[in-house]
Amino acid sequence: MRVDHRRRIPRIWALLIVLAVIAAACTGDPATQTTADEPSATTAAPGDTTAPEETTPDEPTDGVSNPGLYIHAADDEPLSVDPAQVAAGEAGETVITQVYERLVEIGPGGPDLIPSISTEVPTIENGLISEDGLTYTFPIREGVVFHDGSALTADVVKFSWDRALTMALPEGNSSILSDLVASTEVDGNNFVVTLIDRNAAFLNSVVTAAVASIVSQEAVEANGGVEAGVVNEFMTGNMVGTGPYTLTAWNRAENIQLAIFDDYWGEPATLDVRIDQVADADVRALGLQAGDYDSIETDPTFIGDLEGAEGVTIYSGEFLLEPVHMGMNMNIQEDLLPPEDTIPADFFHDVNVRRGFNLAFDYEAFIDGGLAGLGGVVPHYLPQGMLGYDESLPVFERDLAAAEAAFTEAGYWEEGFTMTVLVEEGGVFEVAGLVLADSMAELNPAFQIQVLAVVEAQFDSAHAADPFPYAAWVKNSDPFADPAASFSAYIHPDGDWGAVHGFDQAYADPDQIASLIDEAAVELDTDRRVEIYQELATLLYDDPVWLIPGNERALMAHRSWVQNFEMNPLWPRPSLKFAYLDK
Amino acid sequence: MQIREYILRRLIILPLIVVGTSIIVFSLSRVGGNPIAIYLEHEMTPAEVAEIEERYGLNDPLPIQYLAWAGGVLTGDMGWSAVSAQPVTEALFERVGATLELAIFAAVIAIAVGIGLGTFGGARRDRLPDHLTRVLSISGASMPIFWFAILLLILFWVNLGWVSIGRSDPTIFATITHPTGLYTLDALLAGSLTAFLDALRFMILPAITLAFGATAIIARMMRSSLVEELNEDYVDAARAKGLPERLVLRRHARRNALIPTVTVIGLGFGFLLQGTVVVEIIFRWPGLGRWMADAVLRGDQATIMGYVLFTSVLFLLVNLIVDVMYAYLDRRVVLGA
Repeated sequence: MRVDHRRRIPRIWALLIVLAVIAAACTGDPATQTTADEPSATTAAPGDTTAPEETTPDEPTDGVSNPGLYIHAADDEPLSVDPAQVAAGEAGETVITQVYERLVEIGPGGPDLIPSISTEVPTIENGLISEDGLTYTFPIREGVVFHDGSALTADVVKFSWDRALTMALPEGNSSILSDLVASTEVDGNNFVVTLIDRNAAFLNSVVTAAVASIVSQEAVEANGGVEAGVVNEFMTGNMVGTGPYTLTAWNRAENIQLAIFDDYWGEPATLDVRIDQVADADVRALGLQAGDYDSIETDPTFIGDLEGAEGVTIYSGEFLLEPVHMGMNMNIQEDLLPPEDTIPADFFHDVNVRRGFNLAFDYEAFIDGGLAGLGGVVPHYLPQGMLGYDESLPVFERDLAAAEAAFTEAGYWEEGFTMTVLVEEGGVFEVAGLVLADSMAELNPAFQIQVLAVVEAQFDSAHAADPFPYAAWVKNSDPFADPAASFSAYIHPDGDWGAVHGFDQAYADPDQIASLIDEAAVELDTDRRVEIYQELATLLYDDPVWLIPGNERALMAHRSWVQNFEMNPLWPRPSLKFAYLDK
Repeated sequence: MQIREYILRRLIILPLIVVGTSIIVFSLSRVGGNPIAIYLEHEMTPAEVAEIEERYGLNDPLPIQYLAWAGGVLTGDMGWSAVSAQPVTEALFERVGATLELAIFAAVIAIAVGIGLGTFGGARRDRLPDHLTRVLSISGASMPIFWFAILLLILFWVNLGWVSIGRSDPTIFATITHPTGLYTLDALLAGSLTAFLDALRFMILPAITLAFGATAIIARMMRSSLVEELNEDYVDAARAKGLPERLVLRRHARRNALIPTVTVIGLGFGFLLQGTVVVEIIFRWPGLGRWMADAVLRGDQATIMGYVLFTSVLFLLVNLIVDVMYAYLDRRVVLGA
């Protein structure tokens, strides 16, 4: 029999190629080979709620991927990069933080404010805040230029603030300015703001917000100008700021590229930046292991995949100021509830029901499971890191006997109930809902919680509705930097949620709660403010209007070659300022 | 009926079908969710919500809203794509190039391998090669695409470091102009081998992933058609005339077996052109599927409407092409009958 060697040779080559691929695959990650000398990454111990930690040293290593360029894998793409159009917590804030600047900034390592476009942080002591607390004077830094070469002046600062106030785009965040600002003026080289009323959170919650960013007047006027209620499409997709980075490209659905601004007035950045849009969390984790990304937005549920990966560090820092919380609706419209629900309209009016939920929830299961151990419990409503937090403040712990007593007192223990909780599908919110359902069923099988998981658009539509069409929902709070803002939004009977959920029908003494919050908001003495917020936290332990399953730590996985890595939960997500980083 | 007349008639009917489709989708989009869901925040006052509704003309009666949208389409304005922060038309044309390029490469792989495997297996019915191709086909059709994609990424991206994800290395991508929107073609037009290789490096895994499932279906269809044709009398006649088996297969049986296979290929290519959500998300491919998925999840109705309009036209054209090819391959088919 004749053997046709011409036909056999390609097969042999194919076999050799397959074997080569398998052999190469078995040799491991080329990126990790280059960092083999690095210590292994570890994570914080599950349940550890005290010590923030960097788990591997940031030593420079050879074989760094993409030298000179920092690549961050983000899970979301901006809807806009116009400071006047971006909502709080929206992905556009990520870029705005790097490219635009504000009068003062929150510095690295904590809540302290540092000068930026204003050469000083106003205080009563330095005379830049008037004695009545209503007038703030910001001395404007000279020699600052925009990325288009135009000069920054006090007039341009006024233009920027007035622009946001004039446009007043409903999807944006200009209301935090219009709610407080009575007037803006230019006095020589100073920008002067007069408030409608004293506000203790003005500097660290309003002046540092994305909406207060300083934009190039020349660029705006050359591209559509300013019109009330009308979106400026140029500014939606382009940026002309004064920050350490310029926006060089926004390739939709691919990446946003930032280049070092050579004429930056301050300490220049050392790395160009590329923010890649990577929607899938598994793929972000793989990209980090491949060495293609320097850092990735990380969900706690993916820590297990990254733990122990060579060349990867899991950073677990301070607590985020956005606890996961379950809203309880005291304004239930029975005809809007899902048909399975058996609860009455005044279900949550009874403090025993609200306390019963708080006492029944399995906090340990949620923190160890949903938050991968990287979280903690929270006093109402003072997350760790916020002004007023004290570890001695009362927090709810699971106490099934006390929960049974509370529901018995409320009259639901025998008859039970069925209630639907609305959550956004996937992620920690759905986990919190499921833990709640299990917790309640374990307490009493007659307590049925239906977890309705929906896509983001459906959740947002329901979340914005008034009356709210469900009895309860789970999400995280907005990341407020000061308790004046969070207590106003989440605790005040007339606040955003107080009005929608009907807190005045729940609190034993709504006037007392309201007056304490109002007093703290205008009190400029920090010690007195702390006293008030701690008093409120104690009152709210007895009379809760939320259930707070837990608070997540600032969490990010990054390559170990990244130096000076620091997250500050007070910076917009991903809580990074790329200009501080090196590799 | 002449092919030219048939095509003309179909093209005349096409706008009516598109209008009908768009009315249905427009109505469903209003029933299925809030048209401004993407802009809604809890903190908004009713006045702010009303302002956004006014901005997008949502206070008008539905027929007026539809006419306003349709009038915009006629002038090339399909509204604002919030999920991509740019006009829908602009976003559509940016993404269609990426999707088209990926679809073409995946289709070329799927057609070549699928027809080859189907022919190979069908001509060796119930022998070992046939069993092997069937196993391969069934695995391709049944394997979850996201799982296959992740496996490829672990092997070729994480462990071997041969490829990356996305559409390109942005630095290399920026070195050439992009007149067609197809990176490979643009690289060839620019005479840049570096850019061409870059395009292939980024496209190879998503193309293989997409092609794997399509290959399986084409191979299965080709095999069964071929087996059927090989049992026909005209094949026996060809063999009786003394034609070599190779020629019987290539000139007679395979040509006829291609007829139903072409239908499958045409429809499959239509699906590929819509963009494939899972592959585009996993490989970070900036195509239509990912754009649409994002729009649906976040409630961006302008994007959804623009996409649906585009894909409905696309499907009608692909179907037309398939019908014409059908007539070309099988002379017995009478167009328009």
